[in-house]
Amino acid sequence: MTATTQPFALPRTFEPRPVVVIARKVIREASRDRWFWLNCAGFAVLAGAITLTAVPDHNLIGSGGFGRTAASLVALVQLVVPLMALTLGARYLSGERDSGTLVFLLCHPVSRTEVLVGTYIGLAGSMFASVATGFGAAGVFSALRSASADPVLLVRLAMLSWLLSLAMLGLGLVIGSIARNASTGLGMALFAWLAVVFLGDLGVMGTVVATHMPVEALFAAVIVNPVEAFRLASVVALDGSLDALGPVGTYAFDRFGDGMAYIALGVMAAWTAGAVAAAVFTFRIGDRI
Amino acid sequence: MATRTALTGMLFAGALVVATVPVDPATAHGTAATDLQDLINAAVPGDVLTLTPGTYAGGVTVDKPLSLVGEGWPVIDGHGEGSVITVTAPDVTIEGLVIANSGNRLDREHSGITSDLSPRLRIIGNRFENVLFGMFLRHAHDAEIVGNEIGGKDLFIARRGDGIRIWQSTDVLVEGNDVANGRDSVFWFADGATVRNNHVEDGRYGLHFMYSHGAVVEGNVLERNSVGAFLMYSTDLTMTGNVFRSNRGPSGYGLGLKDVDGLTVSGNRFVENRVGLYVDNSPSKVDLYHRIESNVFAFNDIGALLGSTVARNVFTGNAFIDNVTQVASDSTGNLLDNEWSHEGVGNHWSDFAGYDADGDGIGDIAYEIDNLFMDLIGRYPEMAFFTGTPAARAVDMASQTFPSLRPEPILTDDSPLIRIPTLPMSPLAVESASRALLFLVSLGLLGAASAVMAGGRFRLSDPLGGGGAS
Repeated sequence: MTATTQPFALPRTFEPRPVVVIARKVIREASRDRWFWLNCAGFAVLAGAITLTAVPDHNLIGSGGFGRTAASLVALVQLVVPLMALTLGARYLSGERDSGTLVFLLCHPVSRTEVLVGTYIGLAGSMFASVATGFGAAGVFSALRSASADPVLLVRLAMLSWLLSLAMLGLGLVIGSIARNASTGLGMALFAWLAVVFLGDLGVMGTVVATHMPVEALFAAVIVNPVEAFRLASVVALDGSLDALGPVGTYAFDRFGDGMAYIALGVMAAWTAGAVAAAVFTFRIGDRI
Repeated sequence: MATRTALTGMLFAGALVVATVPVDPATAHGTAATDLQDLINAAVPGDVLTLTPGTYAGGVTVDKPLSLVGEGWPVIDGHGEGSVITVTAPDVTIEGLVIANSGNRLDREHSGITSDLSPRLRIIGNRFENVLFGMFLRHAHDAEIVGNEIGGKDLFIARRGDGIRIWQSTDVLVEGNDVANGRDSVFWFADGATVRNNHVEDGRYGLHFMYSHGAVVEGNVLERNSVGAFLMYSTDLTMTGNVFRSNRGPSGYGLGLKDVDGLTVSGNRFVENRVGLYVDNSPSKVDLYHRIESNVFAFNDIGALLGSTVARNVFTGNAFIDNVTQVASDSTGNLLDNEWSHEGVGNHWSDFAGYDADGDGIGDIAYEIDNLFMDLIGRYPEMAFFTGTPAARAVDMASQTFPSLRPEPILTDDSPLIRIPTLPMSPLAVESASRALLFLVSLGLLGAASAVMAGGRFRLSDPLGGGGAS
């Protein structure tokens, strides 16, 4: 089991047990954290409100219109989930450091890698809970209120949102491991949120206006953004194509077809893996505890 | 004429034919007709050939006024060669048959039923299976095509034939047909057609009118085609009470209009299309106005898309509900040459942010579309890739906040309707099958969420870092 006899031996093998223990500790703490519950409730209320208000009289329309509700949910996720995940990741590590619990934890026979991976898994579990709560609430309201909605689609969107949150959580942990204290971490997380949600797209838009860049370059510039990868994967899940997104969408779907969804998933997975690896690296080399 | 029923006993692929014909017994028993073509050849004009269940060889030609009536779905099988039934005579009726397996040469227009010089042709209640073209009628004035089911070949869409193609035929009635997996349903030079209560799905152009004047199109459901209906170069058309749903694809429209003069579009539903209504150069005559009245445009990517030079369309009493873009111009121009309210009755806009202080049901301020992001798309079409992103919203918000960035409005409705106008019930059944399942799945998500959160709360059996073995 763990190397209790040599607590400070580095490098130390990576073992699953402390990781699980730390992950559970993180989830337990999240369930006591009022910010977490506020996030959770806020997302659920917004998702429920979208479902309630976006579905007009379906007898008039002859359609449940869940496609539009789902599109609104996607827009909500784009805004809210990166914000939640980035701030959660950034706040957690730097907060632990501020309160001294990180020092206490690292006194135990656990490696920094185990602490970080355990923290990541625990936060990922909490994010799963809040995403599932939001989509669950939206689904319940939709079932009570409107007539038709595809449950498979609901679960798919929930999973895509969670994937997005995994990538954002990784980034959050990178920030948390380099930020000096919790408030710096929070500020950096907010800036990162601004960058992935707004500035990236606005930058590409500006480039389009300035240079009329070719569609291939535009597509490549957009898809590397995990938030955009999430959006494109969701649009494919909703519409089965990207026709709604003009010439670039048509190009992307003609070029990659159903592979489009895998590209988007791959981008989110790559961000997740890259961010967690970077967080492990920055956390391990960090002298600060 | 003395008529009696004779049982023409014959076995052809297990089929038995009962012909209600004026029969010369000597002929009937002497030559012993062996296939459908022989029966047709043997019949005299005005005969009713009643076919019993079984399979008959296709590739037949009906060259005299006859009725072919099936009982118990006899199959006319073209065996993948040519057209199954060719009609070259007036007053032919084809009813109750399964017409299957035409050839698949597009250049030869291999069809279930093909006809020429066949006025008053009646095609009633047949099933078309695996045919390239369903029916291709030429010079079939006053034809009636009623209650048929037409299923095309499983081919790439441009390789398929048309479910229904009418050529140079006036006053045709097309009613209650179900057309699936075809290419188009085309009316070429077919004046005075009545197209009513048909269901066309999964094709390219659900209905396509070329140079066909005076058609009445009502109560049809056109869904999941590339284009629901495209009307081109035709005049005096009436589109009433149709449903255009989920017609998508890169150039997908619910209803497309090109060079149409004289048109009424009322009581239709445009739902979940890429573009609900697309108007290109219609009306083209300067003294004509088109009324687009009491339609619902809901959940489309673009509710109505008009060419920037389009003028003289009068939109009144329509409901624009939750379209990603309610109305757009296809380039940079505005749409102010059209009327967006008529005699004090505008349209309902789900994103109208005004008020109705005097309670007369008409908004007290005008509804305007002056969307900077749409304006950008007009100039840089690639920008459509960002539709619906927070960044696109930020662009719009910036233009609302800083008037110097705000583009000229593309339309102004002076009398927006506060409430959705009352419309007849939708002919579409509301799908409710997945409701219970959705409820369960949603509860499952909530359950999974609480399970994860509860997972952290279990008291651990051993302290941090300490294994059971230590």
